[in-house]
Amino acid sequence: MATMTDRAGAFPSPYDIETPPGCEGWEEMYPYYALFDERRRETDENRFWFWNSMHFPIPMPAFDVICIDSPYQAVGSWQNRVFAVPPAMGIDYRCVNGYIYITGNPVTDPAKIAERAEYFQRRASYYFENWDELYGKWRARMEALIAELLSLRVPDLPEYEPDEVAFGDDRNTSFYEVLDAYTRVLRMGDLMWQQHFEFLLLGYGAYSTFAEFCKANLPDIPDQHIAQMVAGIDVILFRPDAELRRLARLAVETGVDSAFVQGREPAEIEAELSGSDAGRAWLGELEQVKDPWFNMATGDGLTHYYRNWRDDPSIPYASLIGHIGALKAGEPIERPTEEIQRERDRLGEEYMGLLEEDSRRTFTDLLMLSRTVFPYVEEHKFYCDYWFLTNWWNKLREFGALLARHGFLEDGEEDVFHLSRYEVASALDELVLSWATGGQPLGPRHWPQIVARRKSLLAKLGQWSPPPALGVVPEAVTDPMTIMLWGVTTERVQEWARHQDGGVRFSGAAASPGTVEGVARVVRSVEEIRSVRDGEILVCGSTSPAWAPIFSKIKATVTDVGGVMSHAAIVCREYGLPAVVGTGRASSQIRTGQTIRVDGSEGVVTVISS
Amino acid sequence: MSDAAYTRPLTELRSSDESSVGGKSASLGELLAAEIPVPPGFALTTAAFTAFVRDSGLDGRIAGAMAQVAPGDVEAIGAASHRVSEAMHSAPVPEGVREEVSRRYAELAETAGVQEPPVAVRSSALGEDSEDATFAGQQETYLWVRGAEHVCDAVRDCWVSLYSPPAISYRARLGRDQRDAAMGVTVQLMVDAEVSGVMFTCNPVSGDPSMVAINASWGLGLAVVGGEVTPDDYLVSKITREVVKAQVHRKDVEYVPDPGGRGAVRVAVPEERAGERCLDDAALGALVAVARRVESHFRSHQDIEWAIARGGPDIYVVQSRPVTAVAKPAQKPPAASALSLVMSQFGVAPKRDAD
Repeated sequence: MATMTDRAGAFPSPYDIETPPGCEGWEEMYPYYALFDERRRETDENRFWFWNSMHFPIPMPAFDVICIDSPYQAVGSWQNRVFAVPPAMGIDYRCVNGYIYITGNPVTDPAKIAERAEYFQRRASYYFENWDELYGKWRARMEALIAELLSLRVPDLPEYEPDEVAFGDDRNTSFYEVLDAYTRVLRMGDLMWQQHFEFLLLGYGAYSTFAEFCKANLPDIPDQHIAQMVAGIDVILFRPDAELRRLARLAVETGVDSAFVQGREPAEIEAELSGSDAGRAWLGELEQVKDPWFNMATGDGLTHYYRNWRDDPSIPYASLIGHIGALKAGEPIERPTEEIQRERDRLGEEYMGLLEEDSRRTFTDLLMLSRTVFPYVEEHKFYCDYWFLTNWWNKLREFGALLARHGFLEDGEEDVFHLSRYEVASALDELVLSWATGGQPLGPRHWPQIVARRKSLLAKLGQWSPPPALGVVPEAVTDPMTIMLWGVTTERVQEWARHQDGGVRFSGAAASPGTVEGVARVVRSVEEIRSVRDGEILVCGSTSPAWAPIFSKIKATVTDVGGVMSHAAIVCREYGLPAVVGTGRASSQIRTGQTIRVDGSEGVVTVISS
Repeated sequence: MSDAAYTRPLTELRSSDESSVGGKSASLGELLAAEIPVPPGFALTTAAFTAFVRDSGLDGRIAGAMAQVAPGDVEAIGAASHRVSEAMHSAPVPEGVREEVSRRYAELAETAGVQEPPVAVRSSALGEDSEDATFAGQQETYLWVRGAEHVCDAVRDCWVSLYSPPAISYRARLGRDQRDAAMGVTVQLMVDAEVSGVMFTCNPVSGDPSMVAINASWGLGLAVVGGEVTPDDYLVSKITREVVKAQVHRKDVEYVPDPGGRGAVRVAVPEERAGERCLDDAALGALVAVARRVESHFRSHQDIEWAIARGGPDIYVVQSRPVTAVAKPAQKPPAASALSLVMSQFGVAPKRDAD
């Protein structure tokens, strides 16, 4: 839940964002409900929106909008309608110049929150208690869905239907088969997204509770150590590379390793291999491995631009060349699983040992729960985002190829992604209609120019820099999903807002935590300390014990030199005053009388006004 | 009572001796007992200070000057401090103390294998004062002192610091009797430090107990302790020895032994070294190992002054004291069960009643 303040305008209003030159009409690529529309300006302008650069780093092609709609339909269904996460419903999105901004829908009524808490506790506890069993069933469902997707045939449109249609049991003609296949592909996409989010919130929630617990008790713990304590040893994501290492050993053992030369294209390597029995045997082994382990994607975004290893084998071949090189140099390539296991257990035990007595049990329980949920958190990526999604985009490419063969698209299958899913349905409708009637389709004179215009729009929109946030600055970000999934915290948002202010900033060491605002008093020598008034912020070169009398008067300290163990830092921690030390130049840039903000937790000093 | 009452070798001291030798000397004794490398040295007890005050008739002068003092009266405190300091500076160090210091110093010369070895002379504050000594200005340090006479002079200068304005106002604020003040002094062989600094066995800013926070700069320790440079700032994991943070700053000045043979002088750091990182990962790892030993010996977080001798790699600890002001991790949650924490992550308010 984001509590709003009256500081509207601290971020740009979404209604004031200008269209980059030459991008007029970009809205045609997106659904009507995805836009900041005048008819709901009053509400939309007063919400906090942030750019979801994690999932949508580029301006979205028209078709790929389905990978916004479906995930938010699915995440909202589970979060709001199944688990009823008490303070948060689902996520709304809007599109500005092709970029996707999102915001959570809070539940603010305390009675409603309490009512939802009942649902949530009952249902979430059931999942946590039966995690492994439920996750086992989930895996089986995902594998079945992927099998169904891969077996789906995108038919061609023949001159004459084959005899089976006339004489067989199955009397479906291609007009029906094409439209049905398209509907089924879309339906399977929805189903995947539904499964994608079934465990995700709970899994992230358990893991992030552990991570937060670690950071609260061990504030400087590297994220890597938290992940190391939790990470599964045998999760599926490690399998693709394990298979590559096996193939690398096989290549060396069967003497075909000389084909793997740094800088060679995969096709050249395969051509050389296919010239020998041993090479052909190796390629046969490779084929076995590809299903399913080459369904890794080349990136993490939710757009069709990311392909899998089958489509783009440059990544696995680069790994193979690396592994073979290491083997020949006598270096170990095995993932030292026992060592990883030992290190994971050692980290867990040692960190626990450093905690205070009353925190140890909770630490251990949270660690165990995180280890239970973590396989899902990692593996859903392989099943959903890589294995399913890369093949799903490929199915859509097949429809693109069909449209291209009939002149509806000019530059081949990829053009299909510049039409929305409804436009593709419409184009397919006309295609099968004109195929059936033998009439002249309009599509070839209709769609190519639309595609061309949108390609140029996307190229230009790609040059635009989206602001990190729009609308009002929330007083606090409390939506658990916004914090857990995107890391958008109150501090982060305030940092964005400060950059908006355009104030003068100085960074130094965060020497004593806390944030205050106040009037600056620049003191150049110990003789001048008499001039310091109660409640002012001391700005100086550095301090020494001789300055002791003034620390009971001031609100915060800023120094030019010194580290977190300098005199000023130690004394400020003792007195509970925020301090930023080692700013380098604050005392020469800040003037007495200016209002400044000292953030001793982040090590930042901002001049607010003169 | 034997004449050894004025001095004691550091190796003999334990924390139970704090009331007679001050916190610094006592903790160095503890460190030596734990086989942590500490430069050899000896302590002057409070008996030496008491003899000094008594034999030179200073007690009446001190009582008179202190009678004028009221907490917060900066002018009066300054005047009283001035009067006492002048008197102390012109008073002789008692003969008995002098003799003992000379004998201990001769022993150190033998240990070091040099005549007139350079030593560091530091005040060693007492009892409750020691924790607040930083703020009370009782942190006198004289480096590279050579010759028994000069050691005695430095000892007296340490004693004088007991009546510095911050020390007087500190005691006044706490309502202590100014006449009861006393202190010990620590005398140790100097380490000709190439790099020196301080380290905390936790991150004092965040309160993280899994980190060792290290500040380091070139030369003798004065530059870091005195805040004259912005030191390199490192944060190293106790558990993996990973350097989590290494902020290298320009270190424009350093203290080195005076070419004249006595004292330390502040010189400009040569341009090519000023911006250099002064500790590599191996040195940081070795410091962390020392920090963990010191911490586990004292069973509390420690603020450790250390030095690495020119030509390295030996690390010397020259002081260790309990960390006084550690930030508590800011949002440390109250102890709660794992599942209730997960639930609150999703906005389920924790139940007020204990189940």
